Amino acid sequence: MRYLVLSVMMIVSLPSFAAAGYREDFAQEFLSKTWAGERIEENACIDCHSSDRMKPAFRDIVDEWNKSWHAQNTVYCQDCHGGDPKDPSVSMTHQRGFVGSPSLRQVPEFCGKCHIGILKNYLESGHGKALRSTGKGPHCVVCHGSHNVQRANIDIINEQRCAKCHSYERAKVMKQALFLVEKKAGEIEDGIKALRRAGVYTAEQERALFNTQAEFRTLFHTVDVSLVNERTDEFTRKLGAIEKDIQGTFIELRSRKNFSAFLMALFSGMGIVIFLITRTPDK
Amino acid sequence: MWERVKNWMETRIGLDDLVRTQVTEYRVPKNINIFYTLGFVAAVGYLIQVLSGILLLIYYIPHPDHAFKSVQLIMHKVPFGWLFRQMHVVGSNLMIAAIGLHMLTVFAMGNYKRPRELTWVGGALLLFVTIAFGFSGYLLPWTQLSYWATTVVTSIPTAVPVVGDFAAGVLRGGEQVTGATLSRFFAFHVSILPPLFMVLVGVHIFLIKRIGISATPFGRQAEEKRPWTEYHKKSHIDGYPYYPRFFQMDMLMVMVYLAVMFALITFTPNLFFPEEATIPANAFKTPVNVRPEWYLLAPYQMLKLIPNKFLGIIIQLALFLVFLLWPFFDTEKEKNIMKRPLLRGLFLFSFILWLILMFWGRS
Amino acid sequence: MKRRSFLKAVLAFLGATSIASFVYPLSRYIAPPANTETSKTLVIAKREIPLGDAMEIVFNGVPAVILNRPGKGLVAISRVCTHLGCLVQYDKENKRLLCPCHAGIYDLEGNIVSGPPPKPLPKLPFRVEGETIVIG
Repeated sequence: MRYLVLSVMMIVSLPSFAAAGYREDFAQEFLSKTWAGERIEENACIDCHSSDRMKPAFRDIVDEWNKSWHAQNTVYCQDCHGGDPKDPSVSMTHQRGFVGSPSLRQVPEFCGKCHIGILKNYLESGHGKALRSTGKGPHCVVCHGSHNVQRANIDIINEQRCAKCHSYERAKVMKQALFLVEKKAGEIEDGIKALRRAGVYTAEQERALFNTQAEFRTLFHTVDVSLVNERTDEFTRKLGAIEKDIQGTFIELRSRKNFSAFLMALFSGMGIVIFLITRTPDK
Repeated sequence: MWERVKNWMETRIGLDDLVRTQVTEYRVPKNINIFYTLGFVAAVGYLIQVLSGILLLIYYIPHPDHAFKSVQLIMHKVPFGWLFRQMHVVGSNLMIAAIGLHMLTVFAMGNYKRPRELTWVGGALLLFVTIAFGFSGYLLPWTQLSYWATTVVTSIPTAVPVVGDFAAGVLRGGEQVTGATLSRFFAFHVSILPPLFMVLVGVHIFLIKRIGISATPFGRQAEEKRPWTEYHKKSHIDGYPYYPRFFQMDMLMVMVYLAVMFALITFTPNLFFPEEATIPANAFKTPVNVRPEWYLLAPYQMLKLIPNKFLGIIIQLALFLVFLLWPFFDTEKEKNIMKRPLLRGLFLFSFILWLILMFWGRS
Repeated sequence: MKRRSFLKAVLAFLGATSIASFVYPLSRYIAPPANTETSKTLVIAKREIPLGDAMEIVFNGVPAVILNRPGKGLVAISRVCTHLGCLVQYDKENKRLLCPCHAGIYDLEGNIVSGPPPKPLPKLPFRVEGETIVIG
C-alpha cells in the first residue's frame, strides 16, 4: 500500500521536470524579486542619465542623488526639474514642465518650489538681498549642495564656507545662537532611536520633533541673530515637552520589565515548589 | 459545605465514579517520563492563546486603516494591554515550540504505532492548524513585516499550474494583499480555526483515553507481543494514579512553560519584533529582509533552493503527506528507537537538516 | 509530612499571588477609560471671524483654524499637516491652506490639492449655536 502511494507521488511530480524552470530563469524571477507585489516605478531620467552613453559629469548626478536625503524620501528628478519621467521621448520638453537647471540667481526660487517657508525668510535676509542685488551671494546650493543634499545640521555653518565672503565672526555668533536648541534636538533624536530599538512606534514623537526643528531652522534663514535668540526659549520649551514624553515612555518600559520579571519569578517559584513536592515522600 | 456540593453533583452526574476513573485511579505507566506532559503543556499553551486573543479582540480593529493604530493603542494606551499582547505573541511561538517538541518525542518513542495511527494523524493535522493560526495571525497587526511576509507566502500556490493563480487569489481575496486579505485572515483566525482546533483536540484526546496511554518503549511491553487484530484498551494496573504523581509533572511543566514565556517577555521583549514589525504596512516599499517566521523558515529555504517552483511545491506536499501518514509507512513492531539504527539515523538526519535549513533561511 | 504541608502552603500562596497578578491587570484592561479632556469645549463668537477670514485656535492641544468661507460657511480644521507635522497657514488670496515646509496644499475643506501630504486634514467636531461657535 505504501509503495503504491510513494510511486503515485513520484509519478505526479514527473511533469514538473517538463514545466518551466531553468536555473537562470528561476534565479532571475525568484531569488531577486519578491514573489508578488512591489511596484517599482520606471524613471526615464535616471535610466538615461545613468547609461554608458551619458557623459561622466552627467552620469555622476544619479550617483550623487542616490546618496541624498531626497532620494530616501522619494523626491525624484521631476519633482525639482519638471519633465516627464515616464516617457523618454518627451521627458525634457517644455510641454511636460521641464525647467532645466536654474541659473545662480534662480536657485532660491527653484528650491523654494517646495521649501516655501525657508524661501520667504531667505529672500528677506541679508543673504537673499545680496544675491538679488549683486548676483553673488550664498544661495541654497552653496550650503546644501545640489544633488547630494543631506539632512541639515549645524556644522553646515563652518569657517571654510562662511569666511568666503565675510569674517567668520558673524557666522560664529549665529552658530552659537543655534547651538543649544540643535543640541537638545539631537539628544531627542537619539532618544527616539533608542525607543525604536526597544520596539516602540515613534511616529508621533518624530513628527513633533520634525515640526519644531523645521520651524526653528526655517527661522535661521533670516540670518537674524537677535530674532533667533528671542525665540530660542519658545523652541526650547517645545522640545522640552517632547523630551518629557520620551522619558515617560522609557520609564513605562522599565516598569513593564519589572512587572513581567515579577511574574516570571512567581512561576519559577511555583515550579520549584512543585518539584520539591514531587520529591517529598508520600505518607 | 463542600460535601453538600459534591453530593449534589454525585446525584446528577455520578461525580465519584468520574473522579475515580479519570483522576485518582486513572493509571499511567510506572516508567512514564517527563515528555508525556508535552501534550498537556501544548493544550495549556492553546488556552493561553485563546484567553489573550479574546482580550485583544476587545480593542483590535481588523481594517487596514485602523489595524496598526489599534495595536499601538493596545501596546501603549490600554492599561496592561502590552501584557496580553506580549503573552499572545510570545505564546504563539512558544506553543509551536511545545507542539514541535511533543511531536519529536512521540516520534522518538514510537507512540504513533498501531493502534495509535489515528492519534498521530490528528496530531499532524493539529500542527498544520496551529501553523495556519500563526500565519493568519501574523498579518493582523498590519506592519511591514506582516504585509510582505504574507505577500511572499500567499504567492507560493502560484507555482502550481492551472489552479495556482486561482488558489492564491482565494487566499488573498484579490491579486495583492489588501484589506480583503486582512478580513479573510481575521475571519479565519478568529472563527474558523478555533472550532476546527477544538474538534481535532477533542478527537485526539478521545483516542488517547479510548486506546489508553502507550507504554514507554524501553523494554518490550505486552502490547507489542501480540499482533493487533482486536480492540483492547491499554491499562497500567501497576502504574501510578494520575493524581497526584503525574498531575504534579503536568503542572511542573506548565510552570516551566510560563516561566520561559515571562523570561522572554522580560529579557527579550523584541525577540519577535524586528524593525519591520514596528512600521505600518506600505504597499509601495518592500523592506530589505522579508522572510517568514522561524517555524516556516526551513520550508521557505527549501523552496528557494529547488530550482523549479512547481517541483519544490510538489516535494513539500509529498513530504507533508509522508509526515501525516507516517504510521502507515512505518509498521515495524519494534517501538524502541535505540534498537532501530536506520530510523534513528533518518530521524536525526531530518532534524539536523531542518535546523540547517532554518538557520540558512535566516540570512 | 510537615514539609509537605509547608510546601503546599507556599504553593497556595504563590498561586494566589499569581492569580491576583492577573486579575488586577485584567480588570484595568477591561474597565472603560476615564473621561479626560475630551469633554472640554471651546466657544467663540461668530462675529469675531469676518467672511473670508480665519481664526487660529488651539483645541485640546491641537492647533486648528476656523475658516469663514464665502458660500460654504464655517468649518474648523486641524492645522497639523499630515505630511510631517508642520502647521499649515491660511492663504486668503488663493483660498487654500498652505504648508510652509514642503508646499503641501489643501483646499478649504481640508482635502489635498497637491504636494506630499498623504491624507486630508482632519476636521474638528463643531456646531453653531445662534451667534456662537462651539468646538468639541
